[in-house]
Amino acid sequence: MGRSLFRFVDALELCTAYIFCFFLNLLFDYVKTLDLGPYILKDFFKNFTDYQTLIIFLFTFIVIVFHYQMLHRKKTEVYCRILVGDTILNITIRYSLDCLMILGFVYLLSILINVYLNFNLTSNLYLVFIFITYILISARQVRKYENF
Amino acid sequence: MKIFKFFITKIFLRKAILSISIILLLFMANYTTFIATRSILSTFQGYQEIKCMNQEGIYIANLDPDSDVDIDAIGENGTQIVYDYLNNNFNYAFYTDGFMVSLPNIDDMEISLCYMNEEYYELNQFELSQGTDLDFDYQFDKDKEIPILIGKGLSKTYPVGSTIKIEDPVLEQPITLIVQGVLKQNAYHSNFYALNSKNYYNFSIFLPVNAEFIKNANIDLQLNGLMDIVILQTTKEKTVDLSEVMQDNLGLKFNFFSQEENFDYFKEYYLYSLKIMSITTLILLVIITCLSIWNALVSIRLMLRDFTINLLVGLSYSKLRKIFYSYFGILFFINLIVIFSITAYNRYECWLRKDATFATYGFFGLIGMDWFALLVVFLSDIIIGKIIVENMLRKIKKIPISLGVLQ
Repeated sequence: MGRSLFRFVDALELCTAYIFCFFLNLLFDYVKTLDLGPYILKDFFKNFTDYQTLIIFLFTFIVIVFHYQMLHRKKTEVYCRILVGDTILNITIRYSLDCLMILGFVYLLSILINVYLNFNLTSNLYLVFIFITYILISARQVRKYENF
Repeated sequence: MKIFKFFITKIFLRKAILSISIILLLFMANYTTFIATRSILSTFQGYQEIKCMNQEGIYIANLDPDSDVDIDAIGENGTQIVYDYLNNNFNYAFYTDGFMVSLPNIDDMEISLCYMNEEYYELNQFELSQGTDLDFDYQFDKDKEIPILIGKGLSKTYPVGSTIKIEDPVLEQPITLIVQGVLKQNAYHSNFYALNSKNYYNFSIFLPVNAEFIKNANIDLQLNGLMDIVILQTTKEKTVDLSEVMQDNLGLKFNFFSQEENFDYFKEYYLYSLKIMSITTLILLVIITCLSIWNALVSIRLMLRDFTINLLVGLSYSKLRKIFYSYFGILFFINLIVIFSITAYNRYECWLRKDATFATYGFFGLIGMDWFALLVVFLSDIIIGKIIVENMLRKIKKIPISLGVLQ
């Protein structure tokens, strides 16, 4: 991470945000497979499982917040890097690759858990697409800090 | 007010993503609290309703889950023998509903007929808004009028004293009914085996039945009535004999549960469910509160310079605290409005669907338990708001003003 915009804490923070969203999706899938027994419990959890995608989508907002605040904090660093010879394109590519690497790691982890629990492997694929979209949008934001 | 307006427009809304994100998190906290409170309250109301059944000497019938039901094999003769046995040996509370009829009314709803005998009516103590109690000692004769109670939704079209002519689905013949009273609005009946599930009587007709009426009714009423029949002032041994009579004549195995068994069932089934629901809600609330605190601290990190510049030019911490509380007050208010709108729409949807069993009356369509759940959401918002604001202020106080300004 020598030339990356990410410090260890940032990587950990993003990793936690991704893990939280994937874990939530997994939890919903797990609750759906449970035989909850009493009708009252089924009825209660139905209020959440019926809106699984929407609820998880809303929670993915924490990843947007992460990207937003991360880039905001790093705007001086981006500018300084450009001053010492780095290019905005390289910074953007490195930033995107770092995000994708963290996402890939968390997705692999979730696949392993899905295999272990015998769940559908594609059930959380939509999250990957959502997060890639966020990464692409935030990568465009890096360009904003070319001029301090 | 001026400074608050400045903070909202120039500081908080300038980084709208953070405000949107916190609104969404708080919305999920509110939604979870609302759903959990309503479910718990609805179950509690259901339990209060069936508590009258949990008395010494009362046994409630329940079809054995392993018993094969072959309706075609059951004859009217079989059910009549069972009712004769019941009439000769027991006092019983009879109730069955779900028989729909079309009856002109201003809301164009399908009407549900609820048949009950005197014992069931007395056991449940229904409250009336107009008229007098049901009379069960009428002579069953197709030319005579049967006294009935109606739900609030029918009271405008059929005021007390008016007569209604219907083709009765269980007698399979036209009968004349006379409105004797109107039930209180949103009178309900909870399902014995799903206490949180309710049917509302706003578009129902209570038809009093006696032994003669049951005798003349078709097998649908007779059999449905047996499914949840409540035997009063009896003993376990007598219910075993009754169960045998039912098995011999209907081919169905019925179990009869006593007060203690029902209470144990409640403890095992409902208390367990309520515990799981409460724990799940609490865990979700803790997680969402933690995420909201993280979000708030991120906001502080990004808006630190704005806050500290204002502190430098004379804004006090107590004033800043007030601004934060007002800001979160607005966010919570938005969320409460959203939850209120969703609930009101859900209630209104029942009217749009012409769903007579769930149509309710209330201010903006919301009923008592909705308002109570909103109150609980409001109280939980106060707690969550306090936790978030105090954490934000602690974070701001930790950073020296001079350092904050330089950021």
